[in-house]
Amino acid sequence: MQRHLITPRPGWQRFAERVGFCFHTLNGETYWDESAWYSFTLQQIEEDLEAPTEELHQMALDLVSELIGDEQALDRLAIPPDFRHALAQSWQRGDPHLYGRMDLCYNGHGPAKLLELNYDTPTSLYESGFFQWIWLEDQQYSDGLPKQADQFNSLQEKLEQAFAQLPLPQPFYFSSVAASDEDRGTVQYLMDIAIQAGVDARYITMEALGANDGQLVDEQGRAVHGLFKLYPWEFMVEEAYGVLVQSSQTLWLEPLWKLLLSNKGILPLLWERHPGHPNLLPAHFDERPDEPLPPGWVRKPLFSREGANIELVTAAGERYQADGPYPEGPWIRQAYQPLPVFDGNHTVIGSWVVGDYAAGIGIREDRDPITRDSSRFLPHAIIE
Amino acid sequence: MSQLPKKRSNYVALVLMAPLAGGALQGCSERPVEALAFHDVAECHNFGADLEACADAFDEARFQHTQLAPRYINQAECEADFGAEACEATPERHQAGSFFMPMMMGFLAGQLMGRMGGGQSGGQAGLQSSTPAAAGGAAPAGGSGAARVPVQPLYKSRDDRQTFRTATNTPVANRPGAVQVRPSAVQPRAAPLIRQGGFGQQAAQRMSSRSSFGG
Repeated sequence: MQRHLITPRPGWQRFAERVGFCFHTLNGETYWDESAWYSFTLQQIEEDLEAPTEELHQMALDLVSELIGDEQALDRLAIPPDFRHALAQSWQRGDPHLYGRMDLCYNGHGPAKLLELNYDTPTSLYESGFFQWIWLEDQQYSDGLPKQADQFNSLQEKLEQAFAQLPLPQPFYFSSVAASDEDRGTVQYLMDIAIQAGVDARYITMEALGANDGQLVDEQGRAVHGLFKLYPWEFMVEEAYGVLVQSSQTLWLEPLWKLLLSNKGILPLLWERHPGHPNLLPAHFDERPDEPLPPGWVRKPLFSREGANIELVTAAGERYQADGPYPEGPWIRQAYQPLPVFDGNHTVIGSWVVGDYAAGIGIREDRDPITRDSSRFLPHAIIE
Repeated sequence: MSQLPKKRSNYVALVLMAPLAGGALQGCSERPVEALAFHDVAECHNFGADLEACADAFDEARFQHTQLAPRYINQAECEADFGAEACEATPERHQAGSFFMPMMMGFLAGQLMGRMGGGQSGGQAGLQSSTPAAAGGAAPAGGSGAARVPVQPLYKSRDDRQTFRTATNTPVANRPGAVQVRPSAVQPRAAPLIRQGGFGQQAAQRMSSRSSFGG
């Protein structure tokens, strides 16, 4: 695993905007960064990233079946009691899941360490599955990279297969919050793939969803029997409309049981069941959230995204904190594993899962040790 | 090497997002434009806009309110979304009585700036310099061919008294004054007779610090 400088494709911004990548630059800051790329060997990809991703995924699914009905564990995960029955039903019915992303700490040597699961509303999908793929083709065409270079990225292909095979009600709706262009872009990408797979895909904002006699409906009052929602389950169950989750005849993607896996409490539970597992970091529920964090630990809220509200103290005692909209606990502590630093950048690997298979990676870089939504996305290639 | 199975998709195509394929293009090409959101005429005028323009916009929004406000079968369902004593009877009636709709809590005006900022009718009190984009005649809102923000009523939901929302429940502003909106997000549509309200309350409360609800 190495970082290499490379010449960006001339006019790539124009191309990006032509293919719907509207957020390549965010608030004047680079988000998609093709001034550099990362190389991996095939062995690194297959042994250190692909296989552990599928193993960790399986461990997470095994944990879900253990947690169903375990009231004590559900208390620790702060799962609202009113939704536990629906959650159990969602798992026992076998409600299908589409995708997830796990963030891994990996520097090219030794085992990758699981930092967290983003299993409910993972983003950076378009840049991973589409734009990164085109980048490699373009670089090979212009001899920027060798023709035999490959990429760990079957994301779009696997998503298309999933949409073709999942038993989705038609029409199938896709939804995001009206105010977020970035989320709209992610949802449009998924709709695009779904359409190619033959799905009758419709868009609706989360705010425009209505209710009629306990059934979720669209703006015209038609029943919504299938909905992909790029909106966190932990928000939905707290809102007035959350009651619909129990009454509406709707197949949700991701399914309600993912409420367990988008929860950072999954990290201590995995560590309890698999202590010393090479791909896990020591973690436990934070019984003393008011006390200062000792060196070598990270404190994370159960529900948080994109690095929000995370506090970390390095082994040397340096303290970093990211503000955010999730100030309320409960919290977990996870042993601090410093991200590898390449040319001054802290690098994290997002490893995709579609269905139950590893489907590729996307790389994020940040100047800080905490990766956030402003962290840059860089492409990668496999070179022997 | 070439015999090894590839680790990447064989091909990737877009049918919806890429215009060359004839799909529906939007997104990048649509720029937000500046509009104004106020509770009432006085607030609009205090902000620096011409009193008559404010009053005209308010009257237009009042009229649109009777056309666009979401309809409810009964008062209780309406108040569940908009709060106690925040609903009123609709102008139209059905056999059993009236429908209910939320009271108008403010108005959104894009056109106001076209009238204020055009600059050629000198002497008219324009917007104050606190909104340079608007005062500069900014014409995205009124320019030829550019998408426009129609004058329309705004509402506030029961559990989020900060946020101005359109009749279709699109949040547009957290406080009175100048706001950036995408014209396509605020095109009025007649509301159907169903309970609306949707999800997104948490999003509205946490929006100030985030642009995405993914992770």
